[in-house]
Amino acid sequence: MHESDEGRPPVFKSWNTWYGLVLGIFVLQVIIFYLITSAFL
Amino acid sequence: MSSVDWIVLFGTLLAIVAYGAWKTRGSKTIEGYLKGDNRMKWWMIGISIMATQASAITFLSTPGQAIEDGMRFIQIYFGLPIAMVILSVTLVPIYYRLKVYTAYEYLEGRFDLKTRTLAATYFLLLRGLSAGITLYAPAIVLATILNWSLYFTTVMIGVLVIIYVTTGGTRAVSLTQRYQMAVIMTGMLTAGFIAYSLIPDHVSFGDTVALAGELGKLNLVNIEFNLEDRYNIWSGIIGGTFLSLAYFGTDHSQVARYLGGVSLAESRMGLMFNGLLKIPMQFIILFIGVMVFVFFLFNKPPVYFNQHLMERARDISPEAIAELEASYDALYNEKSTVVENLVKAIQQEDAGAVSAVKSGYFEIAEKERSIRDSVKVVIAEVIPGAKTQDRDFIFLNFVINNLPRGLVGLLIAVMFSAAMSSMASELNALASATTVDLYKRSFRKEASPGHYVLASRLFTVMWALLAMLFAILASFEENLIQFVNIVGSLFYGTLLGIFVTAFYLKWVRGTAVFIAAIIAEVLVFYCHYFTDIAFLWYIFVGCFSVIIGSIVIQAFLRKT
Repeated sequence: MHESDEGRPPVFKSWNTWYGLVLGIFVLQVIIFYLITSAFL
Repeated sequence: MSSVDWIVLFGTLLAIVAYGAWKTRGSKTIEGYLKGDNRMKWWMIGISIMATQASAITFLSTPGQAIEDGMRFIQIYFGLPIAMVILSVTLVPIYYRLKVYTAYEYLEGRFDLKTRTLAATYFLLLRGLSAGITLYAPAIVLATILNWSLYFTTVMIGVLVIIYVTTGGTRAVSLTQRYQMAVIMTGMLTAGFIAYSLIPDHVSFGDTVALAGELGKLNLVNIEFNLEDRYNIWSGIIGGTFLSLAYFGTDHSQVARYLGGVSLAESRMGLMFNGLLKIPMQFIILFIGVMVFVFFLFNKPPVYFNQHLMERARDISPEAIAELEASYDALYNEKSTVVENLVKAIQQEDAGAVSAVKSGYFEIAEKERSIRDSVKVVIAEVIPGAKTQDRDFIFLNFVINNLPRGLVGLLIAVMFSAAMSSMASELNALASATTVDLYKRSFRKEASPGHYVLASRLFTVMWALLAMLFAILASFEENLIQFVNIVGSLFYGTLLGIFVTAFYLKWVRGTAVFIAAIIAEVLVFYCHYFTDIAFLWYIFVGCFSVIIGSIVIQAFLRKT
């Protein structure tokens, strides 16, 4: 491992932004899926 | 299949294998062979992770799963993005810091040799069995559809994989997976578009979606908590998170993918890539299944999708089959009228009519299911020992009978590519764990790098031969994609529990976790054989049994 690589993720300034993006898109997907399911109940 | 299909099929497969073997030939060090000299970029890691998880079973079974059971299967992946984040924060930096070759090496430093060996053995059992299923699934379906022998299909996939994995190791696996994934996604998307294009012109895309939704196929999320229901949001998020944590964090077939990264940042990005794209990819595959379902509403499907078995049964018992087919044909005509009425009601946005026509459809669907079950009974009677479940044949039946020349070959290449990409990762990981965790650690501690590379190559061949033997001798009643997940769930909880204990319960020692891991595994098998608990919860049971068991046993050991 190169320690210098640990600090800086690509695109965003911190890894927390990446984690937030992954989890945010996941939540959005679940909401969309729930709305699709509910539309035909 | 036409000659164009054969050219496309063999051209695609041989080109990928030859390119992978040639490009990565000559790995001479264990670092190069097992970790690909840490040269992988984040997008290569991401593709490799996805290609490893998405085996031929995914593409054979998942569309059939959507056709019969709707899209609710997607909930099994709900824990995956959460697990990707947790692993990026916790486990991946530790693996990098310790510069391990396999996940289980870490356990010896933290606990002791026996715990490392136990975890590696659980992994070898689980992954060895899964490699057999990974090979068996496409081999049996393709052998049946193409009218080839099971031996030929099995040996063909196995030998092709052996060629490039033994030549280039980890780097060959990830290099070939890029091209295999390109073939897979191109083929699947094309099949989906063709399924939609074959639906009558008066049914728009919106009508198609509405039709599938009204007939219960867009059941993506179920929020009802039920321990015995295999797929709901709770089992998906809780059980799925544990499943993904265990699979991506402790199963070396996945750990090896991101350990080959250029840096920790590249490995983390590979996991983020998977966290972002996995659910959309599964959605697309399930949605292709839904398109095929709607296609079969307007085009008569066979009463039984495994045509090979059907023909054998027809030869032995022509009257019984003919009688059932006649009933089925009459029912299909009735169903066609109901489906057209449903389309009209949807287009007129008449909710009352939609509801009335739908109940008529479900009555017919029930009768149709009953005829299909009767066909299965006849087949089971006239062909003793025949596997009558035909869900895994639905999608390829559609492909063979409805896609144009050339594309049939491409779709068959999709299935072979998917089988090869998963199997390559599995064999590579099995060989790594056998070499590093058992052979190098306990049998031959001091030898030259060349010796261990040769040992890894020989273990790759050994595991491939075992998988081929298993594939030839195996027989499963479960739908294949469910079966492979059940096998994983039997061992992953215990493996995850060992790793969680290692990270967070610093006072627990090797003997306590070793005993707890054995007890937990017994408990998981008890749940499987003697309770109705859905399989995703086994991971939860296994993991917490190890954690609680370790604490209790450690406390007891301290007192004594």
